[in-house]
Amino acid sequence: MRPVQGSLISAELAAFLESPVMIILGTGSAGVPEIGRGLGASVEGGGDALYVMVSAWQWPETVANARANGRIAATFARPADYVTYQVKGRVDLIAPPTPALHACAMHYAARIAEALAELGLSPEHTAPWRSDRDLAALRIRPAQVFVQTPGSRAGRLLAERRG
Amino acid sequence: MTLPLATLDGCFEGVVPSIVCTLAADGTPNVSYLSHVARLGEAQVALSNQFFSKTAANLRSIPRAALLVVDPTDSAQYRLDILYRGSREDGPAFARMAADLRATSAQLGVTDVMRLRAVDIFDVLAVRQVRGGRVATAPERPAGQGLVRALAVTEALTRATELAGVVDAVLDALAAAFGHEATLVLLHDPGRGCLVALGSRGYGASGIGAEVPLGEGLAGLAAQDRRLLRVGDASRLRRYGAAIEASAELEARTRSVALPRLPEAMSQVAVPMEVQGRLLGVLFLESTRRMAFGAEDGLALSLVARQLGTAIALAEAESGEAAAAGPQGSTPPVTDRPVQVTHHAQDDSVFIEHEYLVKGVAGRLLIWMLHAYQAGGRVDFTNREIRAEGALRLPELKDNLETRLLLLQRRLEEKRAPVRLLRPARGRIRLEVQGRLVVTSHRRGT
Repeated sequence: MRPVQGSLISAELAAFLESPVMIILGTGSAGVPEIGRGLGASVEGGGDALYVMVSAWQWPETVANARANGRIAATFARPADYVTYQVKGRVDLIAPPTPALHACAMHYAARIAEALAELGLSPEHTAPWRSDRDLAALRIRPAQVFVQTPGSRAGRLLAERRG
Repeated sequence: MTLPLATLDGCFEGVVPSIVCTLAADGTPNVSYLSHVARLGEAQVALSNQFFSKTAANLRSIPRAALLVVDPTDSAQYRLDILYRGSREDGPAFARMAADLRATSAQLGVTDVMRLRAVDIFDVLAVRQVRGGRVATAPERPAGQGLVRALAVTEALTRATELAGVVDAVLDALAAAFGHEATLVLLHDPGRGCLVALGSRGYGASGIGAEVPLGEGLAGLAAQDRRLLRVGDASRLRRYGAAIEASAELEARTRSVALPRLPEAMSQVAVPMEVQGRLLGVLFLESTRRMAFGAEDGLALSLVARQLGTAIALAEAESGEAAAAGPQGSTPPVTDRPVQVTHHAQDDSVFIEHEYLVKGVAGRLLIWMLHAYQAGGRVDFTNREIRAEGALRLPELKDNLETRLLLLQRRLEEKRAPVRLLRPARGRIRLEVQGRLVVTSHRRGT
C-alpha cells in the first residue's frame, strides 16, 4: 500500500527510501551503540511502517539490540549525491522476511550494486557489504525523520509523529 | 579479539565513508556517515566534526561510540569500539584533517560546506572484523616497495647534470617506477602567487606555462598548505571544472595556457617541494586507477620531491658560477621576415606572431633580452649579468633564474617560435631570432 498524504513518510520520501540508497542502522543497549547495514527497505501501511531487511548473520548485535529494546536509527544515503535522510523509531516486529520482502531485498541488492558500479566500484568489490545470509525483516514504527544531507540543513527535523 | 590499529591504515584513506553511531541519554541511537577518520598512534582515532551536532551532543552524555570503517582495497569492514576523550580546534591532528577536508572540498566545489569545526579524539577500546569477508585482491604492486621506487627516481636524478636534464629525468623515472599515467612538475612563482607548469608527461598537451593559483585544486592546496595531499577515488567527487581544450586562440584570449588534465583520473597526489624552508613547487601525479597512490607511495614521493627540490636549487646555484661571456657574437638574421613580438607591461605577457607565449617573470626576461638584441645586436647573455641587472626589477630571479629560463626555452620550442633560447654552456644563454625583430610594447593599462 502506498503512503497516504500527511503521514510521517511522504510518498516522495518513501520512493527515496526504497530506491538504491545505502542503508545504515544504529542501535544500542546498555550504553553501547552498534552499527549494521540494511539490505533494502519497504514502506507499508500508508507510511506507518518501514521494513528494513538485515543479515542476522553479518549484523547479529543489530538484530539483538532491536529485539532487546526496539530503539533504532536508520540512515539512507544516495551514493551519487549524498542526499541523506535519517529515520528514528522503534522496531516492533522482527521476523523472517515474507516472500515479497525477500524479493525486495534481492532487488535492492542488485540495484545498489549497479548504482555503486556506476561510481566505479565493481559489484564484486562491494559484495562484502551485502550479505543476505539469515535475513531478518525489522518493522520500524517511524517517530522522527531528519534531513541529513551534508550542509547547513543537516540534522533538521523533517517530520515528527504527534502525540 | 582486538586487531592492531596500524593494520587498518587503508581504512583511513577517506575512500569508503566511515560510519559512526552514538546514543542519546535516553538510549535513542544516531547513525551517520562521516568524511574523515584519522589514526592517532596505536590507540586513538580522530573524527572530523563538521555538521553532525547530534553526535556531538550525544557524546557529552554517553561517551561510547561505535565506528565502522572499510578497507577500500578488499572491502573488509571493521568495527571499532571507541570512547570520546575530547575535541581539538587546533594542533597537528586538526591541521592535518583540515587540510584533507579542504582538498576534498576543493574537488567537490563546496568550499564553505566542509569547514572543519573540530576534531574529536577517541580512545580505541576494541577492533574486530565484521563477518562477510573480503574481496580477494591481488595487489597490483607489492607493498614495501616505496623505498625501492624512491631510490630508482633519485638515482636518475643524480645522473642529470643541468636543470633541463633534472626535470626530464624525474618525469621519466617517476613514470617507470610508479606506473601511473600522468605527471606535472609545477614551480612556485612567489611574485604571482601561483604555480607554473615546467614539464609534464602523459598528457596530450604539455601544458608548459600553465598556471595554478595557490589554494586551487589539489596541487594549489598542497602548495598553500605545504602538505602532501592524496585523492584515491575521484568517483566520489564531482568533476572539478569543465574540460578545456588547449588552443592557440584560447591562449591568446586568456593570456594563459590551459592546465593539462587526465580524463577519468581516479587518483591524484600532490607533493610540495621545499628547500631551506622555501616552497619551490609541487610534484603532481595522476592515475586512472582507483587508489593508485597509497600511504607508502606518499612517503616515497615526499623523498623524491625533496631530492628534486635540492637538485633544482643546486642547478640554480651552479649556473651562477659560469665564466663571463665570451666574445660577443652576433648572428645576422637568416631571413628578413618580420618577427612580431608584442609585450603587455601590465602582466608582462608576451605574444610572438600574435600567439600567446608567456607572462610574468619569464615574459619580462625575454623582453629584456630582445631589447638588448635590438639595441646592440646582442645574442649572448650570462646568468650572472641577468641576476645583476637592476632594470629587470626581479628580486625573485635571484634563486629562480634557471627554472624561468627553462620554462621560457621550452615554451618557445613548443610554440615553434621564430625566437629561440640556446644554452651553449653552463650559465650562458644565446638568443636566436629567425627574422627581423619588431617589438611592440603596450604600457600598463593598455
